[in-house]
Amino acid sequence: MTKTYPKASRPSLDDVSCSIEKGEFVFFIGPSGSGKSTIIKLLLHEVTPNKGRVIVNGKDVTSMRSWKRPHFRRSIGCVFQDFRLLPNRTAYENVAFALEVIGKTKAVARRVVPEVLELVGLGGKEHRYPHELSGGEQQRVAVARAFVNRPLILLADEPTGNLDPDTSIEIMRLLDRINRTGTTVVMVTHDSNIVNQMRRRVVEIESGRIVRDQARGVYG
Amino acid sequence: MRLKYVLSEVMVGLWRNVTMTIAMIITMAVSLTMLGASGLMYRQVDNMKDRYYENIEVSIFLKTEVTQQQRDDLQGKLKGDPLVKEVIYENKEQAYERFKEMYQDAPALVEAVKPDQLPESFRLRLVDPEQYKQIFDKYNSEEGIQEIVDQRRLLDKIFNILGAVQNIALVAAMVMAIAALLLVANTIQVAAYSKRREVAVMKLVGASNWFIQAPFVLEAVVAGLIGALIGFGALSLAKVFLFDGSLRDLTELLTPVGWGDVLVMLPLMAGAGALVSAVTAWVTLRFYLRV
Repeated sequence: MTKTYPKASRPSLDDVSCSIEKGEFVFFIGPSGSGKSTIIKLLLHEVTPNKGRVIVNGKDVTSMRSWKRPHFRRSIGCVFQDFRLLPNRTAYENVAFALEVIGKTKAVARRVVPEVLELVGLGGKEHRYPHELSGGEQQRVAVARAFVNRPLILLADEPTGNLDPDTSIEIMRLLDRINRTGTTVVMVTHDSNIVNQMRRRVVEIESGRIVRDQARGVYG
Repeated sequence: MRLKYVLSEVMVGLWRNVTMTIAMIITMAVSLTMLGASGLMYRQVDNMKDRYYENIEVSIFLKTEVTQQQRDDLQGKLKGDPLVKEVIYENKEQAYERFKEMYQDAPALVEAVKPDQLPESFRLRLVDPEQYKQIFDKYNSEEGIQEIVDQRRLLDKIFNILGAVQNIALVAAMVMAIAALLLVANTIQVAAYSKRREVAVMKLVGASNWFIQAPFVLEAVVAGLIGALIGFGALSLAKVFLFDGSLRDLTELLTPVGWGDVLVMLPLMAGAGALVSAVTAWVTLRFYLRV
């Protein structure tokens, strides 16, 4: 599959083929601009490939109409480097918001949200605002928000990019725990420490091409 | 629950940007008042046409030196004409009676006129009042005819003036509508910008498009409806103080403006206000939110 952005001189991803099984934990690594983040965008149906197909959860999303996208996205959780929390809402409200805007009732939120906040290790901090939480705690809230709807896939775009090494490892333990519940985790990173410690499948991308695909791999 | 969420978002949205909201409502109100006024004018002209065209006649005035023969010939022809429904002959005496009645408020004028000075005439009612031109062409060259007058022509002048005023109101409504439209677009952009984080999260977690757009669209619709209500209020005030007040003599001479006609404008104005706002907001969101 190939993705070229308009005005780009070369494809962001050039004739890439890769398949990820259900329940896998995969790292996409590579230098900046290698096309790692484009993979996340393709999986989210934020962009569509110029050539080839993207199949997610058994569904071909390449030709998916844009009005079907919202429903499709409910099966995917997403975590980013910059957390993307709503600053005027508490940890609880941030997670509950994700449920309420897809039509879940407040009663469902009251039952599920404390559970998932407990799971990510934020029990007792539900009513703190993002600015009252550390970076690691904010990322936990983001993970809770991504996971609260029990998605089949969790996408993580450099989730440890803004965190110190110790906190990063805690977040990785959390993602690992989520992976053990059967959720497929796809993580884009250039944090070599983490990749080396986790010993999971590593797909290395350079200049839009896959140069290495290794089970239980290490960074570089 | 979702409805409550959407409604509270609408209210918060309108308050957050209250100066813009007020500007939006005012332009909307002025535009819709103009629209309502031109609608009212349209109905008014319609009512007047109904009322006056019923009684409209073509008058054929005869020369003072007309002969008995010419008069009888003309009457015979008119009676046999398929375009003519009814012919009434009016002699000098009858014309004088009518004149006295018409100008009873001006006795000096009535004094000055003698029955002889008034022309005899045939008053025609046509099968189709639109066919005046044929009648005119047919009888204009007949002997003994002074003048053929179509009363409709006189009324048409009044209708033309009203029509022109109506068009001016409509143009003003349209110009104001463009201003209102741009304000709605701008307000929605500002609202979308101030909620960009929420919108980004909603898109990410898969909130449906209508759920993301509804608060913005409704915000515009609510402003449009408030504008329509204010416009309707202005129109009602115009009825009370203008049509029934300072312009009373004119409106009674033509046809009075009824409350029914004014009330009919409310759904028209509300519908136009809500629709224009909703479509503008929705189109703006398509470009600005790309949901």
